[in-house]
Amino acid sequence: MESRIRVLLLGLSCCLMGGCASLHWPWHHKAAPVTAPVTANTDDDNAVPPTVIEPEVDRRKITVPKIKAHDSELGINFGIMSIEDFDTGPVSSLRYDYHLTEDYFFEANYGRAKGGKTSYEELSGNVQLLTDAERQFTYYNVSLGYNFLPGEIFIGRKLAMTSALYMIGGIGSVKFGGDQNFSLNFGSGFRVLPTNWLSIHLDVQDIAIKSDLLGVYRIKNNMEATIGASAFF
Amino acid sequence: MALAPTPARAAHESLQLFVTEPYLELHTGPGRGYPVQQVVERGESVRVLFRRTDWFRIRTESGFEGWADAASMNKLRLADGTRFSYNPGNREGYATHRWEAGITAGSVDGASLISGFAGLSITDHLHAELTASQFLGDVSTGYIYDVGLMHIFAPEWRLSPFLTLGTGWEVVNPLTTLTASQVRGSQTAYVGGGLRMYMTRRFFVRAEFRNHEVFTHTNFNEVQDEWKVGFGFYF
Repeated sequence: MESRIRVLLLGLSCCLMGGCASLHWPWHHKAAPVTAPVTANTDDDNAVPPTVIEPEVDRRKITVPKIKAHDSELGINFGIMSIEDFDTGPVSSLRYDYHLTEDYFFEANYGRAKGGKTSYEELSGNVQLLTDAERQFTYYNVSLGYNFLPGEIFIGRKLAMTSALYMIGGIGSVKFGGDQNFSLNFGSGFRVLPTNWLSIHLDVQDIAIKSDLLGVYRIKNNMEATIGASAFF
Repeated sequence: MALAPTPARAAHESLQLFVTEPYLELHTGPGRGYPVQQVVERGESVRVLFRRTDWFRIRTESGFEGWADAASMNKLRLADGTRFSYNPGNREGYATHRWEAGITAGSVDGASLISGFAGLSITDHLHAELTASQFLGDVSTGYIYDVGLMHIFAPEWRLSPFLTLGTGWEVVNPLTTLTASQVRGSQTAYVGGGLRMYMTRRFFVRAEFRNHEVFTHTNFNEVQDEWKVGFGFYF
């Protein structure tokens, strides 16, 4: 009887110890770091699935700052304009350019010039064909430009500035001698950029109108040559 | 709490991009013909200072500045690893944009016409539109200001017809030497139609006809035919 109890207790303790060996106690993780690759025993029903490490930091959020577009130019021009039949006078204008691509740009101009006297008025003494106010030549035009010779100019060894020779053509309106006429303008210009934001222009253009100011309808060519500065923004 | 990650707020700063291709070429000017002056190697970062047309002004870590084109820029990556993308405009934007503006030229009753327009999309098909025009003729000059609606039949098509309907105000300055010319203003209404065609990037061409009914102070209204062609861009 006693031996039976001993066998029973012995069997029970073997079962318990076997069960204890298969258990993963909390201190087992610290005490036994895995140094060798562990091969999964698919037959072992007691295998614990590998723990998934949850990330403790959120993904970094990037706020993309807006990239400023410096496609526009605003500036002023000064120069001279030869108003057909009415001598040559000073001209000043406001200009706005919008660069569509590296090749093409849009331009808007608003300018004023002062016409002089016709040869007839000069020679005939006191004759006045127009009042002083009517000799004010006011124009605006909208044009399309093409940078047909982009390049760089060099000053000395260390200074290089981007530049372009461009052609321009457009339509607009001219107010002169009490009339307002539709105009066609075309010309050429040279642009150089001493800095990224500053642009210096040399422009020559013809503003042609059809006018009967002196009695007969004729095409009048008004040539202007200007130098200007504008700022990119 | 205090250690919570803060988003990289750099609105006041320039955009930082990383070179993941073998190198990034920097040109001396914003154009395809300008020579390459510097290359930025893989792993380095650059700052984007501003853009001019399709070219970007770039500053390297060492402080060197140059110009990179859009194709090269689209190969750079943001700090989170995503690819930088620059969209200069496409058909999808053309079909779904909010604002547009442009310039047209043409004729109204034989007088030359210069016109500017600005439009706001109510839906992709329906735009509210403002038009300001100056006409310059042999017998009169003046201005036409219109406000109206434009219905685009198929904004997703490259070439799409549209109809316009609206009202406006016309100021006429007769050019006459026999009697003292008097500037007169009249209300107008118009109906019209035309075609718009997407060109490239953000640009489109527009051709249009409008029939204006001018409500004069006399017993009869005047009718004016206006046609014009021009280009516009969306934004």
